Amino acid sequence: MITFQFLDWLWIVLFVALMVFFGVYFYRMGKRSQSDFFLAGRGLPWWLPASSVYATHTATDTPIWVAGVVYKYGFSGLWYAFFSAWCAISAFVSTRIFRRSLAYSQAEWQSLRFGGLGAELLRGWLAGWQVFMNMFILGWVGIAMGKICQMIFGWDLWMGLFIFTTLGAIYVLSSGYWGVVMADFQQGVVAFLIIVIVSIWGVVAAGGPDEIISRLNSYSSTVEWEVPADWENRRGAIRITDAETGKAVAESDGSFAIATAISEEAQARLESEAAAMIKSKQEEMAGLLFPTAEDEIQAGEKYTIVWDSGDSDSRVNVDVTADGGSSWSRIASQHFSGQAWRLNFFSFTGMFEGQFPVAWFITMMIIALIGGFGMGTSIDWYPEAQRIQSAKTVRDASYSIWAGSALVLIRNSIWAAAIIGFFVLYPGIADSGEYEMAWYRIGFEYLPVGLIGFLFAGVLAIHLSTVSTHLNLGAMYATRDFYHHYVNPKASEASLVKVGRISTFVLLLGSFVFGVIIGEEITAWLIFALWIMAAGVWLPNILQVIWWRFNSWGYLSAWMANLGLSWLVVWILPRFGVIPALPDYLQFWILIVLNALVYLPVTFMTKPENLDHLVAYYAMSRPIGFWGPVRKEAERRGLIPSN
Amino acid sequence: MSFVRREWSAADADDWHKEDWLAILFSTVSYITLLIGTALSFLAMPIGYLILGIGIVSGVIMMWIIDPKLKRISHEYEKRQKDYLRQLEEIQKWEVEK
Repeated sequence: MITFQFLDWLWIVLFVALMVFFGVYFYRMGKRSQSDFFLAGRGLPWWLPASSVYATHTATDTPIWVAGVVYKYGFSGLWYAFFSAWCAISAFVSTRIFRRSLAYSQAEWQSLRFGGLGAELLRGWLAGWQVFMNMFILGWVGIAMGKICQMIFGWDLWMGLFIFTTLGAIYVLSSGYWGVVMADFQQGVVAFLIIVIVSIWGVVAAGGPDEIISRLNSYSSTVEWEVPADWENRRGAIRITDAETGKAVAESDGSFAIATAISEEAQARLESEAAAMIKSKQEEMAGLLFPTAEDEIQAGEKYTIVWDSGDSDSRVNVDVTADGGSSWSRIASQHFSGQAWRLNFFSFTGMFEGQFPVAWFITMMIIALIGGFGMGTSIDWYPEAQRIQSAKTVRDASYSIWAGSALVLIRNSIWAAAIIGFFVLYPGIADSGEYEMAWYRIGFEYLPVGLIGFLFAGVLAIHLSTVSTHLNLGAMYATRDFYHHYVNPKASEASLVKVGRISTFVLLLGSFVFGVIIGEEITAWLIFALWIMAAGVWLPNILQVIWWRFNSWGYLSAWMANLGLSWLVVWILPRFGVIPALPDYLQFWILIVLNALVYLPVTFMTKPENLDHLVAYYAMSRPIGFWGPVRKEAERRGLIPSN
Repeated sequence: MSFVRREWSAADADDWHKEDWLAILFSTVSYITLLIGTALSFLAMPIGYLILGIGIVSGVIMMWIIDPKLKRISHEYEKRQKDYLRQLEEIQKWEVEK
């Protein structure tokens, strides 16, 4: 727990007062019309939506996620957070096309791109999906705030979720997107400042840049290992061999005990022992340094295996046995010795094997970059779509998306430098739940009095900017795509704003339920949502933008198939032993192929969209890609100039 | 005629050209080098400053290439936006046959 002083509280009170001020000040603008409540009247200069893009995607769970992958994989872990790079292409392709459509939401865009019953089904489906997803996202970022408050104040998880998500709801209920985007601007500034300050502090605390590099070059080699839960009451041994020659690099000088349970003190002592061994690399200590024959470890727990390989450039395979050497299980293959690899962005462990294979990297590059040609290829697209439409021109929309995402990538790198510093200070943490909190620990443990309060205000800014966006966005889908389009098409502007506020409140309540369900399993849920749930529809999301023949039935079938197939491939089939547990990049490609076997036949067996509808869409949006027949017809009708 | 076109007619700007692809290329290079350059620069590694510099220059080149085209697209499109917005609301309220 952390004790706040007067100056700390002052920062927090000032910040909260500013938030309430935004709610009150923009109340009148928010209530003018639906367009004001959800898009700030479509009149914002590029830097306002850009700051909103950045602030929204800086959530309380983001440093947890980034710290988790960078502590484990070094700088190459930053590629795990490279999703936002879809904006590199999107800013000049799908952003431009979407801004020209003028659709409030991705659901509404469906009824412009497609026509008839299929389009209406898609619109309804996407609207419902987005209301659910926004509640879900609110739940997971809310529970991340709960986790932080638990660390700082010792509160129960639900308290941080409840108090600070409600605070965000106050100004969203009052002023809608005007409040969101104006608050996002100052929240973005506060958040960026505190991220830079804490990260500098982290680097300095670790001894400064030179010291960090020097220590990484001198530390012993490590690899994480989770002891199988069914290895209790056995004796284990570890063997480390050179990946190229097969020559032994280090091995246990006797077997260590694996107990059913050991005390917390004993566990903490083992972690300290591992950390000490990592830091005190000496020539005469060559060989396996942890665990040793004197140690007793616990089945089902995670540990850091430590050895001194002598050669920091070599790669090794790490194996373990629990039956006296009759059989060996591989823990890591092609793993880098030493710790210098943590500074390398491209520390590949082979084409397909190890913790960072080239195949994974290529998959991520394709997903992140090529995804920019589509709409909805990343879950971030949906909030970005709202920012695109709130920009005053097509040019402003493009620059806002590009700049906001560039800031997100720069922010990740600043975090990463601090996490490398944290590793130097605390190497050998095997529990991901502990090292995921690295950036917060740097801030709350190392910043001086006064700045702690500023840090907490920054954490509040990070939280509120994300919460406010998703409350308003979810409410927009509920209001614009459900209520206005299907329930009450003749609704007045005043009643639409009122429904927007009611929807916001319902989303708030729903987020509490999801937050409690997600609990502490944040990273597992994030990987599922960011990677797997999007895999099967990734390509259809591109096809709907670039290929005139792709129709609503094809796209709808892709969504339906993906919901079933993703669960099957990721969980159900491996669980019942039908297929082995596959690496995530392989799951992605399998889902791409399986889904295509559904939506391509459906597309070709159903009629193309009505040509009049496609021509109207083409003339307005001027999409990229394969639109030959539609373009020719638009030219024939004189809607666009002939080439 | 220069390799990068800087003058655009309204009709031309609406289409997709080499300049769009060049902007995408420099945008991608900029993102990747900003990511790597910032992290390494934060640890005061000289190669980091160089890579960060490449990221910034790539961003500037990207803007130099695409800005005239985007300006032209925006200028022309905003003239028609009012009509498009009216059509959008008609679809929203089921006032047109879809």
